[in-house]
Amino acid sequence: MIKLVALVPLFPIIGFLLLGLFGKKWSKSLASIVGSGAIFASFVVAVGIFIELLGADAAHKTATFSLFEWIDAGKFSVAISFLIDPLSSLFILIITGIGFLIHLYSAGYMHDDEGHNKFFSYLNLFIFFMLLLVLGSNYVMMFVGWEGVGLCSYLLIGFWFKNTNYNNAAKKAFVMNRIGDLGFLLGIVLIFITFGSVDYATVFEQATHFTSGETVITTITILLFIGAMGKSAQLPLFTWLPDAMAGPTPVSALIHAATMVTAGIYMIARSNILFTLAPVTLEIVAITGLATALFAATIGLAQNDIKKVLAYSTVSQLGLMFLALGVGAYTSGVFHVMTHAFFKALLFLGAGSVIHAMSGEQDIRFMGGLKKHLPITFLTFLIGTMAIAGVPPFAGFFSKDEILAHVFEHNKIMWLLGILTSMMTAFYMFRLFFLVFSGQFRGTKEQAHHLHESPKSMTIPLIVLAVLSVLGGFLGLPETFHAKHLLEGFLEPVFEASEVRMLPNHLTHLTEWALMGVAVITMIIVVLVARSKYVKNNEVPVPESTTLKPAHKLVYNKYFVDEFYNAIFVKPINWLSQKFHSIFELQFIDGIVNGMGSLVVWTGRNLRYAQTGNVGFYIFAMVLSVVLILLVNYLR
Amino acid sequence: MSTIQAIPLNWYILLSAVLFVIGVLGVLYRRNAIIIFMSVELMLNAVNLLLTAFSSYRGDSAGQVFVFFIMAVAAAEVAVGLAILIVIYRNTNSTDINFLNKLKW
Amino acid sequence: MKSLILLSGLGVLTLLSEIFNFKRKIFPVVLLGLLGTIVLSAMYWNTNKHYFNDMMFFDNYAVAFTCLISFIAFAWFLLSQNYFNEETNLTDHFALILFALVGAVIMVSYQNMSMLFLGIETLSLSLYVLAGSRKNDLHSNEAALKYFLMGAFATGFLLFGIALIYGVTGSFNLQTIANYITLNSGNIPALFYTGVLLMMVGMAFKISAAPFHFWAPDVYQGSPLVITAFMATIVKTAAFAAFFRLFFTCFSTIESVWGNIIFVMAILTLAVGNITATYQESVKRMLAYSSIAHAGYMLLAILAMNKFSAGSILFYTAAYSVASITAFTVLSIIINKSNNEAIDAFNGLGKRNPFLAFAMTVAMLSLAGIPPMAGFFGKYYLFNAALQSGQTTIVLVAVLASLVGVYYYFKAIIAMYFKSGSDSSPVEVSFIHKLLLVLTLVLIFAMGLMSDFVIRLL
Repeated sequence: MIKLVALVPLFPIIGFLLLGLFGKKWSKSLASIVGSGAIFASFVVAVGIFIELLGADAAHKTATFSLFEWIDAGKFSVAISFLIDPLSSLFILIITGIGFLIHLYSAGYMHDDEGHNKFFSYLNLFIFFMLLLVLGSNYVMMFVGWEGVGLCSYLLIGFWFKNTNYNNAAKKAFVMNRIGDLGFLLGIVLIFITFGSVDYATVFEQATHFTSGETVITTITILLFIGAMGKSAQLPLFTWLPDAMAGPTPVSALIHAATMVTAGIYMIARSNILFTLAPVTLEIVAITGLATALFAATIGLAQNDIKKVLAYSTVSQLGLMFLALGVGAYTSGVFHVMTHAFFKALLFLGAGSVIHAMSGEQDIRFMGGLKKHLPITFLTFLIGTMAIAGVPPFAGFFSKDEILAHVFEHNKIMWLLGILTSMMTAFYMFRLFFLVFSGQFRGTKEQAHHLHESPKSMTIPLIVLAVLSVLGGFLGLPETFHAKHLLEGFLEPVFEASEVRMLPNHLTHLTEWALMGVAVITMIIVVLVARSKYVKNNEVPVPESTTLKPAHKLVYNKYFVDEFYNAIFVKPINWLSQKFHSIFELQFIDGIVNGMGSLVVWTGRNLRYAQTGNVGFYIFAMVLSVVLILLVNYLR
Repeated sequence: MSTIQAIPLNWYILLSAVLFVIGVLGVLYRRNAIIIFMSVELMLNAVNLLLTAFSSYRGDSAGQVFVFFIMAVAAAEVAVGLAILIVIYRNTNSTDINFLNKLKW
Repeated sequence: MKSLILLSGLGVLTLLSEIFNFKRKIFPVVLLGLLGTIVLSAMYWNTNKHYFNDMMFFDNYAVAFTCLISFIAFAWFLLSQNYFNEETNLTDHFALILFALVGAVIMVSYQNMSMLFLGIETLSLSLYVLAGSRKNDLHSNEAALKYFLMGAFATGFLLFGIALIYGVTGSFNLQTIANYITLNSGNIPALFYTGVLLMMVGMAFKISAAPFHFWAPDVYQGSPLVITAFMATIVKTAAFAAFFRLFFTCFSTIESVWGNIIFVMAILTLAVGNITATYQESVKRMLAYSSIAHAGYMLLAILAMNKFSAGSILFYTAAYSVASITAFTVLSIIINKSNNEAIDAFNGLGKRNPFLAFAMTVAMLSLAGIPPMAGFFGKYYLFNAALQSGQTTIVLVAVLASLVGVYYYFKAIIAMYFKSGSDSSPVEVSFIHKLLLVLTLVLIFAMGLMSDFVIRLL
């Protein structure tokens, strides 16, 4: 199967071409069959490749397949070639697997949309570029995929383009990504200048001859990281991701869970040897990741839009993955990418199912009590929530725990902040869950009448993802359980070179149990707090119109703890998160980005007046320039 | 020694440079399109003079052949230019280039 | 050489067709003739023939550019098919265009300054007339006069430069002049350098590099659309090929004289072209500024001045011209339909005719330099060539400028897909235009994939 690797990206592009060329005339069911079928075919090949790699011995775990020389200019040459190794095979498995489920889901979700067939063609193109990004055997191919994914996300986020806000969100995503891309591009140029090649094999081989901490490697990695920041929505380039919720829900699931945003993680994991040689950059990566995780989690506490909450949680989880990479725990980072792909896809698709049932309503203040109307969605969403909150033994627990254990070793304060982040994660996820599914329905009569479980094509992906979210964690059991860390063994060839340069890290079993205990206990406390607040007390976040009042009057002292908690914890953080959102995110970061844009447009507006339309002036400018040129020449 | 060579080469260069600059200034300062044409012709003739002088001093006929090319092309240019001007004069009743500023910014 | 004769013959034939009354059949004859030109010139590949006592030199550079120009002319004729149907004096236009092409071919194959001059003038004189071919349209008149006045003025500088160089070296032949420079390095009179700079001014005017670009936006906007398309593609390609040929064969060894000036010129051109384009309402005028900006990118090849330059400039002009032809085709269809050249005319095109919208999108993406379109590789090879010569600063500026470029090219895309216009009736496309668009779209993608092949030609 490995030899057939070219088929993996081939199927989606064929799907795209067919849908793009003939899709208009096809019926919706034919289009969805072709679209999903293409991805499924890729998935089958990807599974085959994966199984073959599992069986292969260490020497045969990496293979490169060149199709043809693409660019050849002087010393610079780029081949269209695919690299198959454990890392890329794992990623293509995630991309095609989750991608297929999302396609299947879209068939139900987009069924009534007039752009149904176009939507599928975009989805296929998106998957194609993502596969190119992951499979390429050099940085240029990665960049092509990188740009392509950016373009497709622009098309998909702005899919419902009649709404200007959606449109702006699409533009914002594109601009933010371009800023990151510039960093990435410069990084590639510098790689070529330094190593004389952009091919992974050559670059990484040569990199091993460098000593740790050399300036050029640090510069390269920082530039690459800037690229990763844009694509994976890290501080300060993250604001596009929450806005990108404007797209149809399956797109959010695709962008957030399986593809796009994990590109940054993939890039760093792929270049792990470069990053290992640049401890300064690693520290920056870790700090940025942690700050993002914390920052996004606080904002998540105060959001009322179901998709916004999930969006900020993605930003936060990505921060966690970067934290893992930053402390050198590459395997853990990739592990979390995988488990996160499972449960975040599940949560988004579940949210989509809820929105579908609510006839488009996204505000959790108008939901509630959906448990009995949407039993399957309820159950699967619960599993997803537990997975992301870190309830053992669901998928998120093991990967998060592994990351935190590595962080603990690296720096205790970082670990503390990490625990704080996961507490907040647990809180806002359960807040979301309770507000949506328990209590009384708070929407309009019409909506209540219309409530229904989603069709099969939507619930089946949910069930599959739920199963994965339960079982996914067992691929990477901690050593304490005396089980083999399957993923680590599988990925070993990829991170081999880095590992010999890292300090051997093994916590005692006791510490590891203790860390796990702390994580679980804090999580349980937080969940209980959320439960008493939103289930027992039936609290609903205040509507937009009323300003936040001071803490409720202390009538019911029974809930004094809640009030206390509210006053010293939720309130300040609420305030902070709102301030962050309004001042830092909306004004400062957007200000810079928009400022650059308006500066150019402003200059353009004024510069054009130089074009006066008067021939006399034109000739004067010409003569003046000639005189200047000649003067410069004589003074030379 | 021919008559041309009785005068030092530098003087020819100077003369044609002065003629050329007069032409440039004419294009720069006059607003009537016809006078601008004439100034451009003056520039071209400055070039012709220069080429002839060089050609004669070097004893190489290529320069003088070039002058014929320039004269032929200049004639064609005047034909085209005057045609354009006539069309414009029909439409605007003026040959002042300052009235031509519909296209700008 | 045979292709040159064929083109001139075609021009004369079209003039005669007016007299002998077979104008209706002249269109296919011209198309066939252009294909013949491509074949005939391709046969000269690797022959390196000299003609007319070394006045012309058909090396591979000349052959490649002749083929390119003939091909774009072929595409251009398909594009302007409707336009000519409406014209009363169709044959005059055909003849003028064909003579302009003769000029363009001379400009890419000259070996002697006099041929450069004749080529430029043959091209320009035809264009002055064509720019003003809408006799009752004041804009067209204005464009013609502006183009003519400034063009003639710039020719004056070019000629003065040639005269000075002739005075010092005693020859018009490019190779002789190049030899003169290598033999006398160190004691070349200042007069020679002045000549070089004046020639540079003349050529910079033709490629519309800032600060000699002022004519371009006005002339492009005022001329009839198809003529604008001709100027933006064929004229630009020929002018740049001529510029590069001159500097590459003659003046490459005295880069210290012109290097800094072209450097500043390139930065100015990139800045003015890209930044001013952001605020244009008229798509035609926006494309004019974008063509100025592209001249800025092309100047990088001259700055690089190494063995990669020729190939990258061929590829860049090809990619740029094909994308521009696509954009102008779509624009002409839109203007025909709505009689409005503002960007609003594109609103909702994604719904009104998805194919046109797609074609325009691809063209814009290619011009903006987004992979995998041809335009990306064009930029890439140019930047690469410049980097090989250590021109890092200018490449950085160019990359920044191309980021600005993304903004205005996307304005068109946004208008097509994300805005809805007042008019929502579908847009009809004639068969020939459809054919042309499919052809150019395939080329835009294919050139991206085959970029290496094209680059290795030169």
